[in-house]
Amino acid sequence: MIAKKVLLVGNFGVGKTSLIRQFVLNEFSEDYISTIGVRVSTKIVNLNDEQIKLLIWDVAGTKDDEKVPKAYFLGASAAMYVFDLNREETYLNLKNQLKNVKELSGLKEILLVGNKKDLLTTNEIEEVKKIIEIPVDLITSAKENENVEDAFAILAKQSLK
Amino acid sequence: MTPAKIENVFLEVMTSQQGIIKKILAGKFAIEEFVAETSIFETCPFLFGTLELLPEKESFLMEGMVITSKNKEYNIDLELFKDNNEITILIHNRTNVYKIVNELNQNRNDLFFLKREISEKNKELAILRKASDKANEEKSRFLAIMSHEVRNPLNTILGYTNMIAEENLSDKVKEYVGYLAFSGKNLKVIVDDILDLSRIEAGKLELALEEINVNKIVQSNFINFKNQHKNEFVVLEISTSGKIPETLIGDGVRVNQILANLMNNALKFTKEGKVSIQTEVISENKKTAEIRFKISDTGRGMTDEQTAKIFEEYRQTELDDNRVFGGAGLGLSIVKRLVSTMNGSITVASTLNVGTTFSVEIPFKKVLKTIQKPIIENEKSTVKSLKGKRILLADDDLLNQKITSHILNKEDVIITVVKNGLEALEILNKQDFDLAILDINMPEITGDTLIQQKSTFKKNNQIPFLALTGNATQEHKENYLKIGFTDVIFKPYKFDELIGKIEGCL
Repeated sequence: MIAKKVLLVGNFGVGKTSLIRQFVLNEFSEDYISTIGVRVSTKIVNLNDEQIKLLIWDVAGTKDDEKVPKAYFLGASAAMYVFDLNREETYLNLKNQLKNVKELSGLKEILLVGNKKDLLTTNEIEEVKKIIEIPVDLITSAKENENVEDAFAILAKQSLK
Repeated sequence: MTPAKIENVFLEVMTSQQGIIKKILAGKFAIEEFVAETSIFETCPFLFGTLELLPEKESFLMEGMVITSKNKEYNIDLELFKDNNEITILIHNRTNVYKIVNELNQNRNDLFFLKREISEKNKELAILRKASDKANEEKSRFLAIMSHEVRNPLNTILGYTNMIAEENLSDKVKEYVGYLAFSGKNLKVIVDDILDLSRIEAGKLELALEEINVNKIVQSNFINFKNQHKNEFVVLEISTSGKIPETLIGDGVRVNQILANLMNNALKFTKEGKVSIQTEVISENKKTAEIRFKISDTGRGMTDEQTAKIFEEYRQTELDDNRVFGGAGLGLSIVKRLVSTMNGSITVASTLNVGTTFSVEIPFKKVLKTIQKPIIENEKSTVKSLKGKRILLADDDLLNQKITSHILNKEDVIITVVKNGLEALEILNKQDFDLAILDINMPEITGDTLIQQKSTFKKNNQIPFLALTGNATQEHKENYLKIGFTDVIFKPYKFDELIGKIEGCL
């Protein structure tokens, strides 16, 4: 079985741990416990009749001016950048954030995911998309388990590239 | 040799590039999880994919990773060193350090989210507040309009009631007319109270700052009640302090309203005994004087429970009181708010079946100037004759026209009546008058528009103009005076009130 290291990065409190918990354990908790350092979860996914063991790195959330340590990206096959649709400061500087992640990881593609869609109306989400200017790959809700499987499936696909 | 204590916080292992543990080099931390010839990825999955990519002969750090040993999670920092195909890994147990960092992070993030939540709640509150303010404004506007609209018919009811009372009536009819007059006056009080309360609630009540003589206000209030007082079993007493400065700064009309409300209340609930009003100075300095007004009665008094609720709106001591004594139960609530607006306080002490005492304490500013302006008294000192005076009355309400004409005719004035502002303008340009009474809300040209054209009148631009209006607020009055009226009379008015105002203008 192929194993792939994938990372979830983004500001603190955007829901990275919640997305992983929902994907791996089918659980969601309203309580917010900040992640420290790195926690690695594993899940086996099927992709084109092939089983892939995903080693999902839940990297502690950063503030805007903090960078994820470069060492974390060593050997990473794919990365997901998560932002909170309901928190402007997590998506206002997305272009630069993505550029930084690309530089640190050496990855050409970073999956861009807007989480917490349950807190906004469709119109509000469209407004956020307009502000962001760059294309958002997926809009998810860890709480409602919406598009979570899809997000990790795309991430797994990207890890094979 | 490494001390045992330190041995327990680190572990140094050697692995192959594929992650197979070759040797335990030193330390004891989580040693059970690291068995020779097994994969290190079992315990450290985060090393998967990393080992083969490590730079040669270069120290590589990985911080803040998590491993599990004996069902317990540990935070570790790792230092990796690759030399040929062998990798030396130093694992440090940093759980205690990370615990503190974690707490700090958690606190920082909790604080962030709490701040965010508060800011969102504040935004919600601001929206709600705006909506509530708007609703309140609407309510006040509605009440003001309602009050204005009610005043016109009320003026007619009270006016005609007075006119009927002047006729030769049988005792029975006189009694009925008395009830009509009582209810009409009661309705006027309710309308005034509702308007006052809505204005206070909307924060639109502005106190006048004028020179007043507190004792004179109390005395005139007392005389007024004494004149109307008919119950021979109740004695009215007054005691004013000579120490109260003759001139103070305050809103005389509102002070009078407070006292009148309390006196009215005391008389309402006292069947026999005494109702008294007294004044005294509580404290005084160069700038201020705090005055206490005490209104006591030997009425039925109240229980502690009733006393506690006495200043609540729409509440008199018992529900049935509304029917027996009239009023909407707003008087005391208004008094409390007025006193509070004056930075004063009001207290009540009451014993059931013994009596009640209301104490109002108000701080007044003192007049700092040495030259004091004479205080204008409300009551006229001399009665002027209106006989032969030429008065123009402009009012579109036929019933009100008749009442006003009736009052004026009794004074032998020469009255000319017109039914709108345009007719008033035409006649004011042609004919000489001694005084003009203009209703404010008139068709064609309103009274307030007309007065602003006064300087262009070919005649009568020097005569006094009296505004007649249902807009019974201080702001309206001030505005009418500002735009050129000599005085204002609010509907519904008493006969002698109208005559008094005319006399005051001439």
